Amino acid sequence: MVLKGKAVSRGVALGPVLRYAPFQPVLTKELLPAGGAEAALAAYRAARAAAQKELDGLERRLASADPEQAKIMAAHRDILLDPAMDEEITDLVNYDGVSPDAAADQVFRTYAGILRGSDNPLMRERAADLLDVLNRLLRCWAGAPERDLSRLDRPVIVVADDLYPSDTAAIDRKNVLGIITQTGGSTSHTAIIARGYGIPAILGVPNAMEALEDGQKVVLDGETGEIIADPSEAEEAAYRRKSERVAAALRDLDAFLDAEPVTRDGVRVQVRLNVAAAGERELSSAEHVDGCGLFRTEFLYLNREQLPGEEEQYLAYRKVLERFGDKPVILRTMDIGGDKQFPGSEELREDNPFLGLRGLRLSLERPELFRVQARAILRASVHGNMKVMMPMVGSLEEYRQAKAVFAGEMDALDREGIPWDRDLRLGIMIEVPSIALIADLAAQEVDFASVGTNDLTQYLCAADRVSPSVRAYYKEYHPAVFRTLAYLARAFRDAGRELSICGELGGDPLAIPALVGLGIRQLSMGAASVPAAKRVIRSLDLPAAERLAEEVLHQKTQEDVRACLERFASGLAGQEKEA
Amino acid sequence: MYTKEIEIVNATGLHARPASQFVAKAGSFRSRIQIRRVGDEKWYNAKAIVMLMTLGLAQGERAEISAQGEDEQEAVEALAALVADLKE
Repeated sequence: MVLKGKAVSRGVALGPVLRYAPFQPVLTKELLPAGGAEAALAAYRAARAAAQKELDGLERRLASADPEQAKIMAAHRDILLDPAMDEEITDLVNYDGVSPDAAADQVFRTYAGILRGSDNPLMRERAADLLDVLNRLLRCWAGAPERDLSRLDRPVIVVADDLYPSDTAAIDRKNVLGIITQTGGSTSHTAIIARGYGIPAILGVPNAMEALEDGQKVVLDGETGEIIADPSEAEEAAYRRKSERVAAALRDLDAFLDAEPVTRDGVRVQVRLNVAAAGERELSSAEHVDGCGLFRTEFLYLNREQLPGEEEQYLAYRKVLERFGDKPVILRTMDIGGDKQFPGSEELREDNPFLGLRGLRLSLERPELFRVQARAILRASVHGNMKVMMPMVGSLEEYRQAKAVFAGEMDALDREGIPWDRDLRLGIMIEVPSIALIADLAAQEVDFASVGTNDLTQYLCAADRVSPSVRAYYKEYHPAVFRTLAYLARAFRDAGRELSICGELGGDPLAIPALVGLGIRQLSMGAASVPAAKRVIRSLDLPAAERLAEEVLHQKTQEDVRACLERFASGLAGQEKEA
Repeated sequence: MYTKEIEIVNATGLHARPASQFVAKAGSFRSRIQIRRVGDEKWYNAKAIVMLMTLGLAQGERAEISAQGEDEQEAVEALAALVADLKE
């Protein structure tokens, strides 16, 4: 059997399937039979003991590797064993005949609701902890095993409907050989994580969860997007050879990691790094690039017991700045919302999260969070070459409001005699068409801008970039994307302000010649894309790239654009061979 | 019955980890222990983390700790000392 999807992360993997589905509790609606309370409570105590055993085990295992997580597990155990909630659950069972699972659900949710109504943002976030513990308790009640991608006991190919940041944050990189999901495309969170970790991945495979079984052997071909279930011996051998070939090709590319990204006729293009988790592996690429073009700060907010305080943020920002030395680091303020939720943000569930309260909108809505981040950023700014940009800006009013928040924190720091970088530049992400269309005016007001092509494309095409049903409408090579970029590049060049690209397009070897041809000189990308990007840049001549850009702007469809780019790329490859 | 008034001095208040420490200490005594915000009617079970979280005592607030049982005085004094000593 062969399944097909979109290959989003290179490499070939072979291994057994692990289907990953979050547990969905089904509560007992019926009341207990007369005299059934005692047996029901015994079963409840057993479930609670099983949950406690899991938490004890997790705490032990995490104690040295991740003390912060270990403490969270301990806090979860306190919640699980809370005597007051236990008493209420027991009363509901004894006196009202409610089944313990339904009783626990009712009591936990009542308290989660109280916490969520608190004035204190820290308390509101705790509601997520209660629901997490409830889920564990109900899963133990149902006798379902724990499924967690952070602790696997053998190498597997993970198959899921979709993976959320909470699933991938602590993914066991040693044991996850490959990833297959039913939803998602090349710009989804899962794709970015997979590429970042070098895990082969195929997304958007419609029936993967039904078609594949746990333990079934599959080949995942991250080059073609094909998944072969139960491969024959011959197929298996062929794929093992292919796997080695692909690995060797990726190693050849690595030779370009340290090369200077300059065209054949001497145009220097800045190749910068997108930083998502600020881990050691990611930061180790700092020496090979011209700075950090996108420092995502969401990792500080996701999968947390409580929101990060000023000091923790300051230290995290400072660490990245120091790692890049004199090279510029463009820090993006929190871009929460859309496909990235943080604990306690369930209350914000919206029908169209990508059109909702996300990015800077959320920051302005929750000034108590934004001010803490602004202050931490300002304090860190003296430790390197920092710039700050705001995501999801649709109008200059929003930019001005954000600037006012920063100005307020600058004054506060001055009053306290705490230093901050007086040359700090404030810029914007360009993703929303309404700001892109006034780029000439925006460029006179903002210090710089960076284009988030993933979201820009999604908003230009009005196609949710994580929804498989509109995958075909999300066109990364739509001529409108290139025309918008051409307009932006001209507007910022005329105003003498920097414009960079930090979306997936910026690291796409096929698109880079056209981007350089449009006059863009700053590209930012994940570490995995750096060698291929440098290789392409080094093979370019500016006049040819400019002719290509002009040609692309006159194509009518995405396929026409793609054909143009591919023709140009094969010309470059031919050239390389001759040379 | 033994009661004492305390002030929350640490920055994060009596929730998250400080609350865990408080509950663990309270659970080590046999007495029934309750806590309430000064000026409030309602007492909360001081051995229950969720109750403390719900109470949400913040820095600078005052609360009463009350215990009833064989080790009531020891319990209240130990908890008051713990709160006075909280750092984070």
